[in-house]
This record gives sequence, C-alpha cells and structure tokens, in this order.
Amino acid sequence: MSIVDAGSAPAVAEDSVARPRRTVDRVLAGNAWMVFAFLYLPILVLIVLSFNDNDRVGVWTEASLRWYGEMFQHSRIMGALRTSIVVAVLSTAVSTVLGTAAALSLERFRYKSQRAFDGLLYLPVIIPDITMAVMLLLFFVQAFDIVLLVTGVGMSRGLGTITLAHIAFNISFVALVVRARLSGLDSSLEEAAADLYASRWLAFRRVTLPLIAPGVAGGALLALTLSLDDVVIAEFVSGAGTTTLPVFVFGALRRGISPLINAVSVLMLVGSILLVVGSLAISRRRTGG
Amino acid sequence: MSEMTEVTTTGQTAAPAPTETPAVSLHAVTKRFPGGKGSEPVVAVDHIDLGIIDGEFFSLLGPSGCGKTTTLRMIAGFEYPSAGSIRIFDEEVGLKPPNKRPVNTVFQSYALFPHMTVAQNIAFGLEMKDVGRDEIQRRVAEVIDLVQLEGRENRKPKQLSGGQQQRVALARALVNRPKVLLLDEPLGALDLKLRQAMQIELKQMQEKVGITFVYVTHDQEEALTMSDRIAVMDSGNLLQVGSPEEIYDHPRTRFVADFIGETNLLEATVVDRRTAELGDGTPVRLDSDAATGTAVTLAVRPEKLGLVRADAERNHDLDAVHGTVDRVTFMGNAIAYHVTIEGGRIPFGIEIRQGNAPGIEHFAVGDEVRVRWAPSSASVLED
Repeated sequence: MSIVDAGSAPAVAEDSVARPRRTVDRVLAGNAWMVFAFLYLPILVLIVLSFNDNDRVGVWTEASLRWYGEMFQHSRIMGALRTSIVVAVLSTAVSTVLGTAAALSLERFRYKSQRAFDGLLYLPVIIPDITMAVMLLLFFVQAFDIVLLVTGVGMSRGLGTITLAHIAFNISFVALVVRARLSGLDSSLEEAAADLYASRWLAFRRVTLPLIAPGVAGGALLALTLSLDDVVIAEFVSGAGTTTLPVFVFGALRRGISPLINAVSVLMLVGSILLVVGSLAISRRRTGG
Repeated sequence: MSEMTEVTTTGQTAAPAPTETPAVSLHAVTKRFPGGKGSEPVVAVDHIDLGIIDGEFFSLLGPSGCGKTTTLRMIAGFEYPSAGSIRIFDEEVGLKPPNKRPVNTVFQSYALFPHMTVAQNIAFGLEMKDVGRDEIQRRVAEVIDLVQLEGRENRKPKQLSGGQQQRVALARALVNRPKVLLLDEPLGALDLKLRQAMQIELKQMQEKVGITFVYVTHDQEEALTMSDRIAVMDSGNLLQVGSPEEIYDHPRTRFVADFIGETNLLEATVVDRRTAELGDGTPVRLDSDAATGTAVTLAVRPEKLGLVRADAERNHDLDAVHGTVDRVTFMGNAIAYHVTIEGGRIPFGIEIRQGNAPGIEHFAVGDEVRVRWAPSSASVLED
C-alpha cells in the first residue's frame, strides 16, 4: 500500500458507511447472475429442446409437441410413471405415520436405550445410497430365501420391495423434520390438554397434531420428493419388469440420448415444481392463519 | 351437578367459611427424580403431609427448586409420586392420569392452544367431557363474563395482551367447575401494577366461585395478600403451615423468618422458662420449654420495634435493649434505622422501621437510643 492510499483510507471507510461501494456491489451482483445462469441455463436448454421436432437431440428444426405425444403413447414410460407414483404415495403415507411416531417418541418420552434409537434412526440419512441399496438387496434376497424355505412360497422383487426400501429411508427424513417442529412446541400445551380431560389420543389429535401439521406436511413432501427422485436404491431392489421413472430414464440414457428423455425430464421437473409450490402454499396458509 | 347447588354455594361463600372436609390431602408424599448417570436420585419432595381445606385459598410458597411446583404437578397428575398417597375429596388419585382428576390447572406459561380462538380454548374441557353444545355455549358465555373478556371470543391467544391471556387461562380452567383449581405462578409474567390488580381480582373470584385454590408462588407478598393459609417449603420439606398472620408474626424457623418479609434475629441464652438474656446481658421475656443455658434465636420484625431516646422513661410492658443509631435510610413511606447493640461479646445490628406520621420522633446517626418491643412479637425459632 502506498502512502497516499494509507492517508485516504479513513475517507474511504467513512464513505463506505454512507454510500454502497459500487465496484463490490457490481461484482457481487455479477456473481449472483452467474450462479443463477449456472443453475438454470441447463434447465432452460432441456425445456427448449424438449419441444424440438428432430430425431437428434442437438439439432434444432422446429417447435412441436411431438416428443410429448410419443411419451404419452409410450407404454413403458407410462408404466414406469405409474410405478413411481404408486411407490411414492404408498411409501410417503407409511413413512409419514411411522416417522411422526418416531419423532414423538424421541421428543416426548423417556425410555431405556432412547439414545441408541435416536442415533440409529438417523443412520439412513448419512449412509450413502449405494450402501443402503446393497444392504436392502441382500436383505430381500436372504428374506425371500427364508420365506421360500419355510413356507414354500416364492417371492420376487418388484413394486413391493421398492416401496419397502423407500419407507425404510423416508422414515428417518420425516422424523428429522417433524422433530424440529416438535422441539419448538411448549410441552405444557399437551399437559393442558390432558388437564382438560383429553385422553392421550385426543390430546394428540386436537392439540399436538394441528400444531405440528406443517412439520408433518413438510416431512411428507420431502419423502415424496426423495421417493420420486431415487435411482440407486430403486435400481437395486426392483425386479425384472418393474421400473420407476428415474430408473427408466437412467437406463434409456445408457442406450443413447433420445429427445424423448427431454420430454420425460420436463414432466418430472414440472411435477417437482408443483410439489414445491404446493408445500409453500400450505406452509404460508398455516403461518398466515 | 345441578345448577341450583352451584348458585347456592356461590351465594354462601361470599364470606369464606371453609368446612373441615379436606379438599386435597397428601400423606407421606415423596418425589424422586433420577439424577445424572451414576449419581443419586434427586429428592424434589421429601415425605410431606398436607391437608388443604375445602374452599380455602391455599398457597405453596418457597424459593425456586423447593419442591412447590413438583407438589402441584403431583396433585394435577403431571408427575406421579415415588411414594405416599394423594387424595382429592377422599378419592385416591396418586397414580391416575391428569384427565381422570377433578382438578384443573392454570399454567405459568398459560399454555393456551395457539390454533384455537378464545372461545374454543375455553370450551375444550367441556367438549372433552361430552357436555352438550347448548350447555357449552351457555357456560362459556358465563365464564367469559366472569373474567370480563366479552367481545374477544373469536380472537386467537396471540392477539391478546398478557393480562387477557391470563384471564383466558383462568376461564378455561374455571368453566369446568373443578373441585380444586391449581395455579402455578400464574401472575409471574405480568408487570407489577397488573399483577397487583390481578391478585385482588383472583382472590375476589375465588370467594365468588367458592372453589379451593392451590396457588404456587415464590412471591411472599403475593402469598400473604391472597391466601387463607400458606405452606412454606424449602428443599422438598414443609417448614410451616398456617395463616398469613401466623406465618408472618410467628415464624417457626430461621428460614421462614428470613424468607417472608425482613426480620431481626437476636441470639439469646435461656435463663428460665420465661426469661432469656441477650449477649449484653439485657433480659428479655419469652415463652420456651428450652432448658437453662440453651442458646435460642428470637425473631422480631423491623416494624414491630419501637425507638425511643436512651433517657426516656421505661415502659415495663416492653422489652428493651440499648444501642446507637449508625445508619438512617429514608424509604419514602418509612424511615429505616440501623442500630448497633454494643454490649456482650459481639456487637450486632438491628433494623427498625418507623412510619412517617406526625408525632413520631426522628433520630440521627450517633443518637443513643433504646430499641423496644412487645414480648409477644418476638418469636423463638426452632433452629
């Protein structure tokens, strides 16, 4: 630093309090735009190309809904979509109930080996997907062998195993979200309900549940998203003939990129956006009321 | 429960005439909480016996951690006693869940349901008891009138002031016409002026509805103002139970004397059943069974002490001790004198508080004085 700089430094400091520093501001704004571009340009490219009437992905000819039409005609895609939705809805429903129950047990009761349960419950959140997938696959193989040995009934992997696998990891996420909400809830509210003659169940239904509902809804949406999004675990535990939509997309990409995949991806994107907007609307209404 | 009996009891108890039926009785109740890993369990309430009379305003008073709230929570059913029995109107409730007990609670935090309106909050208990819709409406309106919350039925708790929330909490409990109302420091969150107004209002309301109130507080003034009887607690034990006058004028232990109001402690040695000697040899009168030579402590309230010039004529009805004024503090509504008693081995100080009415003699630092008191206003402490 030169002497001149050092001498003018206080003036600059005072100035910066009064007026924003334009250069820094511009750099920051530029950075923000670049981050946005980095995040959203690929999505934009995907959307634009999904309306492209050409067999080759990278060559633009003219706008059309051709690939959307083909997508809705494509029986395997529609089958995979149906599987995805069924798995997502079933696993979300079950894991929301079980995850909420687990959160309640950890926040509201004291029992032996609670700490161990606490730690174990969150294991699926930190275990890598691939480990979880191998684990579950081994488990199903072994379990089906034993069932076959004992009862003589042969079972195979498919919709059921994917759903079970999704329930297994979704419980942890739901519990995590619901618990955050529960810990901010004054436990004397539940005591007050009991004091006013409510049974445990009624106290839960009339007081606890309405108050943790935003947390439960948030957990459910997270579970739904995670289930719709999962490739690795579904790929491992699905059987022949049953695929979810992400697994189908993944498989199709390995055979070469077809513009059909663009349309499927946009469909999934729109689905996710609707879910997020829906969840925001729900939480707005809750806090606004 | 017929409406007629409600009305007549309300009329009768305008002047509180507690009957002898125990509303709540605790027998040898102990509560132990598990300590940390490897440590001893913490005894929060230690083997207490207590009878609360039907219709009285009963306060559990003590510093924080003395076991008063735990005791209340055991009566409410939020904690179960480790040992002993709790009876409410001769029904053993010690291990019953809170929803099966004929009591209601006003919580320190009010614990109003934030997602319900004032009216819904108040109606909650009646709904849980499956009271008919019309009767719920009538009783909610009645109790809203009692706590003066007309026009706020459809507000959410968040939209109310602290004082109004407090009234909703009270209404939500009273609407169920509990046999006993439990209050856990309900005025703690209010500012001083509002608290004082609510103290009077609570007491009037209790007299009006005729329900037994069990009131937990750490504020001795609050307990003295409102209660018919007070139980002073410390570290899980009941130290003294009695009317505010008994507790204040005749504390039985050093802790009670010290915790409630301010007090002067005089060390004395028993001479015979009627006399003791202060450190400087001044004889004082007392009433004690203690043997000759036993050291006892006398407690005298600052405002029960009179101050006269050292050369003033003796009044033989009063006990007196000679000393020197060494501090004068103007307190607005009173003047506090600190007097050092020189005689004996250890000089000790006495605080005297005198009103400011005309005719009361004032003293200055260094004045030779005699501190005097009626023998009946000195209490012999047990410890």
